[in-house]
Amino acid sequence: MTLLAYSRAFWPLFLHVLGAMTLFGAVSAAAVILFAAHRRPDALVLRRAAFTSLLVAIPAWAVTLACAYWIESDEGLSNANATWLGIGHGVLEPGLVVLLAAIGCTYWWKRTGAAIAGRIAAGVTSVYLVLLVVAFLAMTGKWG
Amino acid sequence: MSTTQWLLMLHVAAAFLFVGGSVAAGILNALAIRAERPSETALLLRLVRATIPPIAVGVLGTLVFGIWLWHDLGFSIGAAWIWISLALWVVANALGGIGGRHQQRSRELAEQLAANGDTSTDELRALLRDVKGTAVSYIAGAATLAILVLMIWKPGS
Repeated sequence: MTLLAYSRAFWPLFLHVLGAMTLFGAVSAAAVILFAAHRRPDALVLRRAAFTSLLVAIPAWAVTLACAYWIESDEGLSNANATWLGIGHGVLEPGLVVLLAAIGCTYWWKRTGAAIAGRIAAGVTSVYLVLLVVAFLAMTGKWG
Repeated sequence: MSTTQWLLMLHVAAAFLFVGGSVAAGILNALAIRAERPSETALLLRLVRATIPPIAVGVLGTLVFGIWLWHDLGFSIGAAWIWISLALWVVANALGGIGGRHQQRSRELAEQLAANGDTSTDELRALLRDVKGTAVSYIAGAATLAILVLMIWKPGS
């Protein structure tokens, strides 16, 4: 652990990757629940579970973003205009609006049970999941 | 993109499926334990099965592309951090399989109870909160986390 503490590059990258993986996992769990709910629209437990899963995504999103800035600051990438960095920021920052929209629709669905709310929540969550996949492929493949 | 970039992208994508799928399974399992009725527990535990194919692709992908990268990047054949990661990969998968069987037993009991009055019993509650079953899943998660630490830290390289 002492060596880890002295390894400047370790913590921000580790927390960034762990945050992104947790974000991906939480949104995936919500997507699985939301699609299962099409066959069981009466199941209140699914509405609650989808909402809880998306709430887990919020701290994971915050850790991913904060550590992205930490890495950029450490490695002098703050003013870099690489395509892969642009895609990462483009998905993570404006993407919060999509995540919040998914949470909002899921909350609406949880409270009212309206089928339309469940369908919109499933659609928005799927879009966000696809955006996350594009972002992590772009970041790891260093596109552009 | 170079071959190395392709391999790195596929290796990390597989790691996302492995870890992300495990996180999704963990969330669904935690929600199933907290559910009030056996029918709800059974429903959420059935959804855990949807996370198995992505986890399996991730498990296989991390190994195949990881070993390919090992060769491509020219890391030493005696690199301890890679061998330790491989050992942890085996441990995580073995314990994940044991944890999965424990979940299957819980799901089967929850389904039986759901079909017979949908009232929880001490047996189901004990099975869902079983210390050994929970410990196995936590150790599998810790082994996966340790692999991630080693992959990013790469001690000695």
